[in-house]
Amino acid sequence: MIQFDNVSYTYEKGGGVSNVNITVQDDEYVFLIGPTGSGKTTLLRLAYMELLPKVGRIVVNKYDSSKIKPKKIPYFRRNIGMVFQDYHLLNDRNLFENIALPLHVMGFQKDEIIDRVTESLEEIGLESKSDHYPNELSGGEQQRACVARALIKDPDIILADEPTGNLDPVTSFELIKLLEEINREGTSILMASHNYNLIKGRGHRIIEIQNGIVRKS
Amino acid sequence: MDKMIFLLSEGLKNLWRHKLTAFSAIFSIFLTLTVAGSLIIVSDNTGRIIEYLRDKYKIEVFFKQNISDDQIVKIVKEFKSIPGVRSTTIITKADAKKIFKSQFGENVLDIVGYNPLPASCVINLVKEQENKLNIRPIIDRLRKFSEVDEVNYQGRLINRIETTYQNFVKISVILLIAILIVSVLIISNTVRLTIYAKKDLIKSFQLVGATRLFVKAPFILEGIFHGLIGALISSLLLFSCLTFGSGFILSVTGLKIHYSFLNLLFLLSSLGVVISFLGSNRAISQFLK
Repeated sequence: MIQFDNVSYTYEKGGGVSNVNITVQDDEYVFLIGPTGSGKTTLLRLAYMELLPKVGRIVVNKYDSSKIKPKKIPYFRRNIGMVFQDYHLLNDRNLFENIALPLHVMGFQKDEIIDRVTESLEEIGLESKSDHYPNELSGGEQQRACVARALIKDPDIILADEPTGNLDPVTSFELIKLLEEINREGTSILMASHNYNLIKGRGHRIIEIQNGIVRKS
Repeated sequence: MDKMIFLLSEGLKNLWRHKLTAFSAIFSIFLTLTVAGSLIIVSDNTGRIIEYLRDKYKIEVFFKQNISDDQIVKIVKEFKSIPGVRSTTIITKADAKKIFKSQFGENVLDIVGYNPLPASCVINLVKEQENKLNIRPIIDRLRKFSEVDEVNYQGRLINRIETTYQNFVKISVILLIAILIVSVLIISNTVRLTIYAKKDLIKSFQLVGATRLFVKAPFILEGIFHGLIGALISSLLLFSCLTFGSGFILSVTGLKIHYSFLNLLFLLSSLGVVISFLGSNRAISQFLK
């Protein structure tokens, strides 16, 4: 569960979010929609505690932003998968190594890493490209790899920041369907997007944000 | 264990991934260690020279005429307890007479009718001392004995040698520390370039839940590899120079240069690891602040 209680955050040069009160329940798929610069990314950064609110608090699973110690944040993030518009894949390592990264961080054994990554690559249909580097993959493939990297650690929550931003409509639609499948298996998803046409009519709750203020939830 | 292997392999792979930085860092460490290694070899050998010179220092104590040999033995035992005294040799009046005969070929009794030569004691001083050997307190203690008639020593020469050696040690230490500090700063700035180039990697590590130590470890290990490679190259260079140059130095100055490749390698590797650890740790810690 993700819970924002009266959360406000202002950047030094202005902008941010103000008085946000929203909750994403376990197993829920929620879209966060709003124009560019409306505060969607700020909300996601607050959700994975890259930013800590100046007012209010965020509770994600058992972690409370008002009480969490900096050294606990890495452990908190191990239960959260993140997907970004610009993928954040590492260009100096191949697809297999990129997806395996969270497992190395979490201290998994080599054999288990191989099993998990191989299975994950099969799930996203990229098993034949495991030794390809990110710049040898299409945008859609890179984004699926990014989803696989987020999923590899079995997170409770996935935070997706404009994951379809660099994809064509067909690939975007496929990605949404992939995330819906993941959600059906019990993972909560909070996905930011500015493309209303892509998400409307899919039966998921939509939170609308404008100028840092939640207008509709 | 697998985590450790992963971090080690990341550190090793980074050497190849960051070739230019690796080259700059290794070159900086190589230069630093070559200068530091040369300084250490010179200091070590200067230490041997000072030990040799100290071995030659001696104080001659002449006793009054009426002091018996038994009394002299007792007094000399007290001399041995004075800090800075290494050994003593008693020269009795009879010994002095023999020495006179061996040096001048005549019996002193035949010349003056009695033995006017005083009993004496030669005192050798400690040689394995790091600090300046201060002879003045020893002389003062010796002169306080009522049985002592005269104390002869090479005071000015000893003082000059000791002062010069101490100044040399001080300058060497200051120079070594300065070189090490400068090299830590150079390495830190070199590694910082890598870190800025790799900020995506750091960000990815942080996003997937890497602890601060896990993020730092590959950069620090990479730095340690730089240090070890720099130390190995530097040791090989110094060893080669010493191997080919020591014969020449011996023929020109008469000094035999002492060195051991393994000691040199161990010493420079330790220094290299410390310098590169401090440099890379400083860079990554500042970035993660």
